[in-house]
Amino acid sequence: MRLRTDDDIYRARLVYLGPPGYTLPVHLPYAQYGLFMLLVPLYMFIHWLFTFTVELFPAWEIALAIVTTSFIFRHVDPDRPARVVIRTALTDWRRTREPAVEQRDPRLVGSRIRIREELA
Amino acid sequence: MSRASTPGSPAGRPGAPAGHRAQSFDYTDGEDEVALDPALVTSPGHGAVGVFQAPRPVPRRTPPAEPTAVTAGENADIDSPFLDLFGGARPGGARAIPAAPAIRDQPAIPQQPPTVAPPARPAPELEPPWTPDDRPTGGRRPVEPRRADAYPATESRVPHQAGDRLPMLHPTSDTDPAVGGPSPSRAAAPATRAPSATPVSRPTATPSGRPTAPVERPAVPTDRPAVPLDRPSAPTERPASAAPADRPALERAPRGADGSERPRGAGKEVVAPRQRAASRQDRPVRPTRVRAPKIKFGDRDPSVELAITEIAGHLTFTPNTVTAWYWLPEVRWAFRPDAEREALLSAISEQYAGLAGFRLHLRRTTRPFPADEWARTIDAHTASPLPDVPGTAGWADHLVAAQRHLMAVNHAEGQTYLGVTFARRSLGDSLTERVLRTFGRGTADGERRKLGRTVEQFDEVLGAFGMRGRRVTAQELEWLLYRSVALCMAPPGTLSPVTDGRWERGDLLALTEQVERYRTPYGSTVKLVNRMTGEERHVAVLAVGRMEPLEIPERHEPWLHFHERLPWPMEISTRVDILGSGDSFRNLEHRLRMIRSQQLDYAEHGIDAPPELERLAKRALVIGDEMTTGLPVDSARAHGWHRIAVGGRTREECLERARRLIQLYSRELRISLQHPKNQDWLAREFIPGEPIANTGYVRRMPVPLLAAALPQAASNVGDRRGDLIGRTAGTCRRPVFLDLHFPMEVRERSGLAVFVAEPGGGKSTLLGALGYLAARRGVQVTLLDPSGPLARLCAMPELRPYSRVLNLTGSEHGTLAPYSLIPTPLRSEFGIGAAGDREFEIAVSNARAERRMLVQDICMMLVPPQVAREASTATLFRHAVRQVPAEETSTLDDVVSCLGRLDDDAGKELANLLLDTAEMPLAMLFFGRPPEGLLGADAALTVITMAGLRLPDLKIEREYWSAEEALALPMLHTAHRLAVRRCYGGSMSSRKLVGLDEAHFMEGWRSGRSFLVRLARDSRKWNLAALVASQNPRDILGLDVQNLVSTVFVGRIAEDAEIASEALRLLRVPVNDGYEATLASLSAADTSSANRLGFREFVMRDVDGRVQKVRVDVSYVEGLLDHLDTTPAAIAAAAGVLPSIPLPDLEA
Repeated sequence: MRLRTDDDIYRARLVYLGPPGYTLPVHLPYAQYGLFMLLVPLYMFIHWLFTFTVELFPAWEIALAIVTTSFIFRHVDPDRPARVVIRTALTDWRRTREPAVEQRDPRLVGSRIRIREELA
Repeated sequence: MSRASTPGSPAGRPGAPAGHRAQSFDYTDGEDEVALDPALVTSPGHGAVGVFQAPRPVPRRTPPAEPTAVTAGENADIDSPFLDLFGGARPGGARAIPAAPAIRDQPAIPQQPPTVAPPARPAPELEPPWTPDDRPTGGRRPVEPRRADAYPATESRVPHQAGDRLPMLHPTSDTDPAVGGPSPSRAAAPATRAPSATPVSRPTATPSGRPTAPVERPAVPTDRPAVPLDRPSAPTERPASAAPADRPALERAPRGADGSERPRGAGKEVVAPRQRAASRQDRPVRPTRVRAPKIKFGDRDPSVELAITEIAGHLTFTPNTVTAWYWLPEVRWAFRPDAEREALLSAISEQYAGLAGFRLHLRRTTRPFPADEWARTIDAHTASPLPDVPGTAGWADHLVAAQRHLMAVNHAEGQTYLGVTFARRSLGDSLTERVLRTFGRGTADGERRKLGRTVEQFDEVLGAFGMRGRRVTAQELEWLLYRSVALCMAPPGTLSPVTDGRWERGDLLALTEQVERYRTPYGSTVKLVNRMTGEERHVAVLAVGRMEPLEIPERHEPWLHFHERLPWPMEISTRVDILGSGDSFRNLEHRLRMIRSQQLDYAEHGIDAPPELERLAKRALVIGDEMTTGLPVDSARAHGWHRIAVGGRTREECLERARRLIQLYSRELRISLQHPKNQDWLAREFIPGEPIANTGYVRRMPVPLLAAALPQAASNVGDRRGDLIGRTAGTCRRPVFLDLHFPMEVRERSGLAVFVAEPGGGKSTLLGALGYLAARRGVQVTLLDPSGPLARLCAMPELRPYSRVLNLTGSEHGTLAPYSLIPTPLRSEFGIGAAGDREFEIAVSNARAERRMLVQDICMMLVPPQVAREASTATLFRHAVRQVPAEETSTLDDVVSCLGRLDDDAGKELANLLLDTAEMPLAMLFFGRPPEGLLGADAALTVITMAGLRLPDLKIEREYWSAEEALALPMLHTAHRLAVRRCYGGSMSSRKLVGLDEAHFMEGWRSGRSFLVRLARDSRKWNLAALVASQNPRDILGLDVQNLVSTVFVGRIAEDAEIASEALRLLRVPVNDGYEATLASLSAADTSSANRLGFREFVMRDVDGRVQKVRVDVSYVEGLLDHLDTTPAAIAAAAGVLPSIPLPDLEA
């Protein structure tokens, strides 16, 4: 029996070619644009927190968003969508190095679980 | 003895260097056969070695106290409530006691310190006569050496049991003078008690139990009566060893400022009692001294409850969901016909498809092989093992060695659980549960009753052929939860080796509290530490990434069974959503539209679309078509995550194992295993009920591919009550046990076992090993080994008194007299009544007919082949044999004389020919009467050899055989009979074993076939295991007795494809399915190495029809392989002394 996954269908690369009639020189996945568009306002907000001013053309923010997006998408592949990469990056940073004095994560404890031998 | 009898210490290593060390245990190389991997060699009791003899006096074993004392400071950061049991203080000036080092030299004597204690405190009512005047007279430092020589003598005589303690408190006077001599004033009872009581009671105490007693005493005076036995020992020792010089120091210790910061709290069992006792004695009770335990349950001690709130029967409840759990039994995979496998896979995929709409959690965990259970079983089935020979390993040692070997080779059994998450709980339900919980009751009855009805549908779906799942029990769920929290760690052993050792309800879950988890940022492993045992594991969780097409029954192994090729245990967790046709089609269609739109985009922009878009769109169309029109099995999809957890003692070991696993999967299955970050979440995903660690790598597959994962596949073979003969060598490693009497005693089948292999395939060695092991179990063993090397078995020291070698070439006349080789049945062997009579008559006449047949065949073998071929010869022999009464008492000489009396020239000629052969010394064995008592039934092991006999090559025509070679044929025939004849001597039910080598000489003769048939038939009646070794399976197939064969071993057959396919037929494995190559690859030598191959492999079929590749390994029996080595060099060496160079490690 030859058995194969359906994964290749989900592996198709969906890229934004540009608006109709104008083809962009680089073709990037839709998700990349989406992420970029989320990041720019985020950086603008952060900027605003510092300066309390909003710039008309947020050059720095755009530059940073481009860098961040490309950095994130370096780790993205069909098996690992962008949100997973971001989530991992945001959650897995804790405990800054293999410490000499160790610190522990919460133990997962099952002693409170009730047990019945029979269902009813 | 079992190493870890206390739950406190992990099996593999002392529990000493506990817990929180940044540095882990050293990583040893050679992970393939890691000796005593703690994950397998289970901790307390479980993997323990069962010992079968009266408890011996333990030679003063050092209790765990010693190492713990060393780590007192190291453990200081453990915030365990248990530690506070041992007194109030936190770890601190543990080493403040000057006397400590001296005492630590004798770690077995926890009470020694009290001896030092000064007598300031008048002894309580239990010890009225005790007066301080002993002090000056008593021992001083020099006592120590004296103790060393005086005690062992006392100790060895004393069985160390709790009950013995009391009588020994009243010592005999003979021990008294030895110590009491110097103190004339010591006439009082306590004085005499002193010397003997101390040494005796010392070892009786359990290492951990002892120290606690004295601790309690001072703190809680009411406890005193509870420990009256300890009492005398402690103070009375004082005169013996309390040195005046020491005392001040000790007195100072408890009293001084540092005394309060004693490390009692650190759980130093040895230290605590010491100072405790001292303080008790040097001043009256001063409870104020004991500082209240400073419990630091600080911020660093968080714990998170698992999502599961309740286990009810086979259901688990989380606040939002209910999951029903099923146990999937192991299924056989190897050596099954592809059609059978496909049927299995399609049945399983139908079952999965039937679960559409539910989320499944498939978990596979392992359980270390319960070596002690097996040992108990085999011991129970061994009524009378061979008596021990002094100076050699006895039966108990033999079993212990086998268990050690079992544990060293890391056998683990798989356990597969399937959880079906089938119900969302309503808000009301979970609120009700929450409320009821506060009253100590869990989920509401009504909810459970309702679920009970719903869940029955799964029983129906899963219980059918395919998975054959059954509901798990609550205990199994507890086990699974514990194993999942303590991922890849040593499982808890049985609670106690004395009782049934079961954990009570909830105990295992409570143990999860001891497991601590550590993570590093973006780290590749999670570290788990068991606070109780100090065990440390590093776990890497791998996710199944991209998969290429697999051809599962034909070319590839099941893809979640495949990891078992590697020798360490791993855990599997698979979380999948089963989508029915509607859901999966919607999902796919969405994807298809996206692809189409992308294609359109390219077209609009006037760019060539990448070709894969079209290809993928087409494939999506095909799949969509399958989904909409196909059966549920075709349309259902399993979208989910598949993870494998790999553990190691150190990070490096763990990563190395992960690397090897990844390599194996990518090379053999073309599955790329990924090692994602966020390992902590991933490890948590293994726990039932916990959320999915969404780190990507979702796999979308048709249900048949999920079915083909088959994590429950296994390769078991053999019974579980026989001797350990090796392990399976296919896709997973399981120990193989073989009890050759199992077919007769339990399965009621014949006991004929057949061994087939090319020369050098290891037949004789296996035969000898099985014979040895059976003889150890008290089976009466007879081995026929024409070429002779097995005779060396009888030289093994443990067998020598019980074995004998019978060399036929040097035997007396008549040893092989054919008439007497076939026993006359006894009336007592048959049932009473007319039916029994009739059976008996039939058996007697059968025996006669068989005798005639045998004699005719022997005569034909003795005359030259040209003569034998003439038609008249057969007629004359038949005639002559008919004349001679076919009784045991007849001889071949009668036949000769009968032939000579014929008035036929041909007859006379034949008689002369027979007499001619009789001139040869060897042929004289056939003539005359057998000597009396040739084969006594007394010897446990009898080896019949024919040293110096030249065996003819059966491929050469008989005409060209030399006279000597020609004689070998009848000799072998009759020798086979002789070997079996011996077994008819004793009682019918006693276990007997006959091993016959070179059985291929039986082929082509009528009597040969009747011999094997009779052997197979009688084997059941006489409880006789018959092992028949041959070079060619055709012999057995040609004799048409394969239906009577219960066990088959086929060794390497590489030369002849025809023989190989016949061997497969003997194994009942499909022929021309590629398995011939498997036979050729057995025991394949590594061409790059110059060493001899250290192991032999066979394909084995057991009585239940299971077929497996087996690697025979009996290296655990010391010296057995040396004695069985049949290579010329070894035989030459054995002529003088057995080779002293050990063979290469069998499990290399």
